[in-house]
Amino acid sequence: MTLLLDLALVAWLLALAVHVVVQRGERSAIIAFLAFGLLLGLAWVRLAAPDVALTEIAIGGGGTGILLLRAEAVLRGRGKEEEPMTRAGKLAVAVGCAAISAGLGLAVLSFASPAPTLAPAAAEALGATGLGNPVTAVLLAYRALDTLLEKIVVLLALIGVWSLAPDGVWDGAPEVKPAIVPGPLTYLARILPPFGIVIGVYMFWVGADAPGGTFQAGTVLAAMWLLVMMAGLKPPPDTSRPLLVLALTGGPALFLAIAFLGSIFAEGFLAYPEGLAKPLIVAIEAALTLSVAAALAMLVAGPARKAPAR
Amino acid sequence: MADVLTAAALFILAATAVALFRVLRSGVVAERMMAVQLLGTGGAAALLLLGSASGSAAASDVALLLALFAAFSCVAFVIGAAEPEAEPDPPEERP
Repeated sequence: MTLLLDLALVAWLLALAVHVVVQRGERSAIIAFLAFGLLLGLAWVRLAAPDVALTEIAIGGGGTGILLLRAEAVLRGRGKEEEPMTRAGKLAVAVGCAAISAGLGLAVLSFASPAPTLAPAAAEALGATGLGNPVTAVLLAYRALDTLLEKIVVLLALIGVWSLAPDGVWDGAPEVKPAIVPGPLTYLARILPPFGIVIGVYMFWVGADAPGGTFQAGTVLAAMWLLVMMAGLKPPPDTSRPLLVLALTGGPALFLAIAFLGSIFAEGFLAYPEGLAKPLIVAIEAALTLSVAAALAMLVAGPARKAPAR
Repeated sequence: MADVLTAAALFILAATAVALFRVLRSGVVAERMMAVQLLGTGGAAALLLLGSASGSAAASDVALLLALFAAFSCVAFVIGAAEPEAEPDPPEERP
């Protein structure tokens, strides 16, 4: 029965993917792509990877959708004079994409079986960290360096986006509110965020012992903040606002501070003192959740569009 | 029992899939927006059934997030749809 379910899920995913590709209108394609992201979450659950499923749903259903639809709204009507892509061009793109897909498929099929795994070692050392979720242990204990650099890369990406602001509005606020805010949007922006914030905090808290964690929680909080900003209930902050800068840098700064303290009070850089690992990890996660939320929301909001209010 | 739950999940997924493609092909944007809502409901139901069938508690967390983001994603359509109608050629977009 589960095999039948998996086959149905695969068939559905493939059909939806084809539907996204053959759509003529960009908006219809983006909407179908959003549905595809949500459905992919189901596939990850079937693959026993709930952490990935949570991330996929949060990113695929939240940030990506808004990003693509806003980009489409800006680009609409711009390239009308240009010639549409020729049949040969489309064919070349199709062949290129098919080759990449086939190559990836071959690579996955040629994996050694059973695959080399560090899972038993990771599960064995779990007791030393005091955590219950091996994924969080990998992210914040065994491979904490990767996570640290990853969070700093997010900040670098944000600096890249912000540097696209024109000189006149440097330090100003981004603009996410549409020209006319529809009534249902305002309504939703009042109703949904209370639920979303509770779910976001829950995702962060449960991450130490069950699937969840900073990134998922941060994405949920970012989506709720974006919702409030898009409905115009609370305008986006100036990019130079001290509170925003503190929220953005607080997580990586605390992570770095604890990492360096590790070389004094523990065995080395990024090592946690014995017995204190879990509280320290939860503290880092709390600060990182806020940083990720602020960074993702500001990344989607884009560069400054209004002069700073001073 | 697990088989019955999985079969129910399969049935819900199949029904959602058929409905989804019918709604996605609609010419009205608001109806296509409902496709994602449909997927949120059907997907959450299937996830809860699968979670009970396999005894994994995390599936209900995924269902929770799916329901939240299905509701959230309808906002994206409201935004995208409102812009061109309100202002077909926004002057501040042109440098």
